[in-house]
Amino acid sequence: MSSTNRNFIIAYILLVGLPLAGLAGVLRNGRNLTAPISIDGVWKVEVRASRPATQPCDKVVSSLLTSSLVVSQSGKSLELTLNGASKTTVPGELDASNIKASLETTSGCANDQPVTVMASVEKTEPKTLTGSLSVANCASCAPVEFRAVRQPRNPGGGAH
Amino acid sequence: MPNLFILTLQLVVVLAVCRVVGWLFQKFRQPKVVGEMFAGIMLGPSLLGWVAPHLSAYLFPASSLGFLNALSQVGVVVFMFLVGLGINPGELKRQGHAAVLTSHVSITAPFVLAAFLALYLYPRLSDDSVAFTSFALFMGAAMSITAFPVLARILAERDMLGSRLGTVAIACAAVDDVTGWCILAYIVVLIRSAHSHTSIWITSGGILGFGLAMIHGVRRLLRGFERAYRKKGALSENLMALMLLLVLASSLFTEYLGIHLLFGAFLMGAIMPKEHKFVRYVLDRFETITVTLLLPLFFAFTGLRTNIAAVKGPEMWMYCGLIILVATVGKLGGSTLASWLSGMPLREAAGLGTLMNTRGLMELVILNIGLDIGVISPALFSMMVMMALVTTFMTSPVLNLLCPKQAPGSAADKAGAERVVSSPGGLHEGEGAAA
Repeated sequence: MSSTNRNFIIAYILLVGLPLAGLAGVLRNGRNLTAPISIDGVWKVEVRASRPATQPCDKVVSSLLTSSLVVSQSGKSLELTLNGASKTTVPGELDASNIKASLETTSGCANDQPVTVMASVEKTEPKTLTGSLSVANCASCAPVEFRAVRQPRNPGGGAH
Repeated sequence: MPNLFILTLQLVVVLAVCRVVGWLFQKFRQPKVVGEMFAGIMLGPSLLGWVAPHLSAYLFPASSLGFLNALSQVGVVVFMFLVGLGINPGELKRQGHAAVLTSHVSITAPFVLAAFLALYLYPRLSDDSVAFTSFALFMGAAMSITAFPVLARILAERDMLGSRLGTVAIACAAVDDVTGWCILAYIVVLIRSAHSHTSIWITSGGILGFGLAMIHGVRRLLRGFERAYRKKGALSENLMALMLLLVLASSLFTEYLGIHLLFGAFLMGAIMPKEHKFVRYVLDRFETITVTLLLPLFFAFTGLRTNIAAVKGPEMWMYCGLIILVATVGKLGGSTLASWLSGMPLREAAGLGTLMNTRGLMELVILNIGLDIGVISPALFSMMVMMALVTTFMTSPVLNLLCPKQAPGSAADKAGAERVVSSPGGLHEGEGAAA
């Protein structure tokens, strides 16, 4: 074997073989990692208002979410699209299996607090969300509770 | 039914913006494709949707995006055929050990670094519907790809296609792309099989059988195209239609097998005869409409899916910076080191590394597949699009520093100009090569 060929083989083992061995190690170790629970996709919503919407604030909150909820997820960072009287997109956060998002909107309450969306995910199949839309410290505004069921995702993969 | 008024308006806006921004970027000595990629992002939520949300909602209503996507995908199918057509991995054999080492290191270095980065990003930017292995392999494939057409274009513009640097770069990029697409096919099968009733072994067997049939059977039949071209110096309309039909049939077959349409188109291009004039002829026939009309739609569609606002807060921007850093160190650093160790002077080796770091449109194609199959999240998609833009954008200025362009009219320049037209990739200085 010529010295050129020998050098080539040594360089190849060092620069290609060793990194590939490292890759195998990374793939093995990475299997133990856990990522946030998947909640992205389209959720069919059932709204349960605790009382008829009589106050202006009630009307605003109950009109935000009526038919479906679309969640776009990037790790713990979320973007919720509430399909109600109009389409509203709001950023949110995922903490373990709890969702929290705040919507800066004129709710009609004197304290001008944002509408808060809070929900928790149940890891059943299909996944379900149980939560509420509410305005903090607003006695005249009753929380609107909802339950949502995630719709089947397309066979191509996720619905990110 | 598509709203034809909106669809035509979209075509007008996309074409106009892509042409203007592409032209502006050319003025700054950037490949036009970088400007067009940037134009796509301008039309999406990152700029138009942010500055003029009502106009954006009117121009690109959600209900119209399916049609825009369908048109753009037709463009990408033809484009991938042309990329496969321009690629000739046989070139690598002629370059010897140095090119083999450089080529393989330029894949493994970014791939392994990306897998290490995936250890950090997976818990932060992914979710439990994606297996770590798929995530890490996708990140590796996305970071190890090289934009063969942009690279060929840059080399052609600098009259470097016939130089040692140029030939090694072309050969390495060809191998990188073929390897990258094979890995991506594996990931797509892995993910789709999780949602399908068909066993992964049946799918893999089908793909292997299809690949072998194409390489050892169909390839021989395709020589008939080259013979017909040699006889008359042109291909009849019927033969061109037949070629297009074969591309579409191959695409359909790979889609049916559970990998993506684009693999079939790429494979059909890769097994086409590689005689220079024939390749140039086919490229000329297909490029104009693909590159001027359909690919800008793909840039626009990618831009509409890219939301830089999804990268929010210092933490997310740090992830984005890390992605760009790892992609650059892996590709540029790995290729430079390997070619330098193979005996190339350091400056030339760094030039090769810079060229290999060009990702361009190929990266966008891969990222869109990743987003479609759900292996990457929207924020990660946006970060990777930014990485593609930055690494492609930096190529020309860094190359100017490392390998200054030769004065026009010099002997080397004239020789280079002749080589450009008859280069294996055939990507001479024209509209089509811009992608």
